Amino acid sequence: MSLVMHENPAAHAHGRRVKIDVRNVDFYYGDNRALKSITLPLFANSVTAFIGPSGCGKSTLLRVLNRMYDLYPGQRATGEALLDGRNILDPAVDVNFLRSRVGMVFQKPTPFPMSIYENIAFGIRLYEKLPRSELDARVEEALRGAALWEEVKDKLDASGQSLSGGQQQRLCIARTVAIRPEVILFDEPCSALDPISTAKVEELIEELQEDFTIAIVTHNMQQAARVSDTTAFMYLGELVEFGETQRMFAAPENKRTQDYITGRFG
Amino acid sequence: MSEHIVRSYDRDLEALGRKIAEMGGVAEKMLTEAMDALSALDVDGARRVVTTDARLDALHREVEEGAIGTILRRQPMAVDLRECVAAIRIAGDLERVGDLAKNIAKRTLKIAGAGRMPRAIVGLKSMHECAAQQLKDVLDAYATRDPAAARAVWLRDAELDALEDSVFRDLLTFMMEDPRNITFCTHLLFCSKNIERIGDHSTNIAETVIYLVTGEAPLAERPKGESATA
Repeated sequence: MSLVMHENPAAHAHGRRVKIDVRNVDFYYGDNRALKSITLPLFANSVTAFIGPSGCGKSTLLRVLNRMYDLYPGQRATGEALLDGRNILDPAVDVNFLRSRVGMVFQKPTPFPMSIYENIAFGIRLYEKLPRSELDARVEEALRGAALWEEVKDKLDASGQSLSGGQQQRLCIARTVAIRPEVILFDEPCSALDPISTAKVEELIEELQEDFTIAIVTHNMQQAARVSDTTAFMYLGELVEFGETQRMFAAPENKRTQDYITGRFG
Repeated sequence: MSEHIVRSYDRDLEALGRKIAEMGGVAEKMLTEAMDALSALDVDGARRVVTTDARLDALHREVEEGAIGTILRRQPMAVDLRECVAAIRIAGDLERVGDLAKNIAKRTLKIAGAGRMPRAIVGLKSMHECAAQQLKDVLDAYATRDPAAARAVWLRDAELDALEDSVFRDLLTFMMEDPRNITFCTHLLFCSKNIERIGDHSTNIAETVIYLVTGEAPLAERPKGESATA
C-alpha cells in the first residue's frame, strides 16, 4: 500500500512520527515548473530515498527542504514544508536557523581549505560560543559520529583536503553532524566514492538514523533498497509513487516505477 | 512487458522461462509414463522414467545457475527479481515432481512380478488424471502469466485430496480381504501419496505464479479435502 497520495499523509504513517510534512510543494526555476504539487512525509528517525531519472526534481526537492534555492534569484517554492509543524518555506523563517536544523551533504566532498579540526569547529562556532575544551569534545564527538575519528585523531591539524575521497565525504558528514541538526539531506553522497568508502557511508547512514531524520537522493537503486525505509520515485517533477522500500522494489504499484527500477525506461 | 534497455537482460530472463517450460514438459511426461508403466506393470517403461529423471535434475541445476547468474549480473528489481525467485522456486517444485514420478516407477519395478493389478488402480488413474491436469494448467498459467488460472489450480487441489482418501479406503479393503495383497497395496498406497504430493507441488507453483505476477502471496489457507491419510 502506498503511504501517501492522500490529504493527510500523517494519518497513514502507521504510527510513525512525521518530521517534515511536504504539502503541495511547487518549485520554479524562473518560469520552469520543476516540482509539481509534491506531497509526502519524511518520517522521524527514518531514511527516505528519492529516486528517479536525471532532471526529475529529486535534488530540487532536497534543496527546497533547507531553502538552498534562496541563494539564487528567480527560484521560488510554493506550498508548505512543515518541519515539526512550522512551514520552512515561510520567508519569516530564518535561513541560518533552518540550516542548523536541516544539514546537507553533497555529491562531491567539499571540505573547506582548512585543517580537519577547523572543518568541524568552523560550523559549530557559527552557532555556539564554546570554551576550547568543549569545542574539542564536540569535534571528537562529530568525528566519531561520522566513523572518522580513529583515522584522523593523530592528524587533526592536517588539511581536510589531504584526506581520501571517502574520508573527505565522512568529514563533510561530521561537519554536518557537529552542529546537531535534526534532519540530514544527502544528495548522491556516494556517487564519487569507491565501494569500500560507499559501504562506510551506508553503515554511517544506518547509525545516524537513530538520532536524525534522513533524506537521500541516489541514482543507485540497490543503495536506495539497502539504506532506506521508504522510497519516493519521481518523474518529470511529479511524485509517481511513495511507499515502503522493500515493497517498492519487490512489487511497485505504478508501471512507470517498475519500468524505471527494472531498467525498461526508454 | 516492454523490453529492457540492456537487451541481453531480456535474453537472460527468456532463457529461464524456456528452461522452466522444458522442465515442465519433462515432468509431465515422467508422470504420465510412470503411471502407464504402473498400470501395465511395464518394467521397460518404468526404467525409462527412472533414467529420464537425470535430465530433469540437470535442467534444475541449469535454472538455478541461470537465476543466480542473472541476480549476480543484473541485480534485478521488482518483476525481474520475482522472475528469478519464481524460476528457482518452480524449478525446485518440478524437480520434486520428477522425483515422485521416479518413485512410482521404482515401485513398479518392485511389484511388476507380484501378480495382477487390483481394481484400486482405477482410483489411482483418476488421481493421475486430476494431478496431470493440475500440472498442465499451472504450467500454462506460468507460461501466460495468468494469476486467475493459477488461483483456479490452487483452489482445485481439494479434489485430489478427496480422491486420495477414496483410494486409501479401497486399498485398505483389498488388504483386509486378502493379506497376500498387503505388499502390493502398500506400494500402491505410496504411489497415491506421491500423486497427492505432486498435486501439492502444482499448488506451490500456482502460489509462485500469483506472486510472480501480482507481487502478493495468497494469504488464505488453501481449502483441503478430507484426508484419512495425512
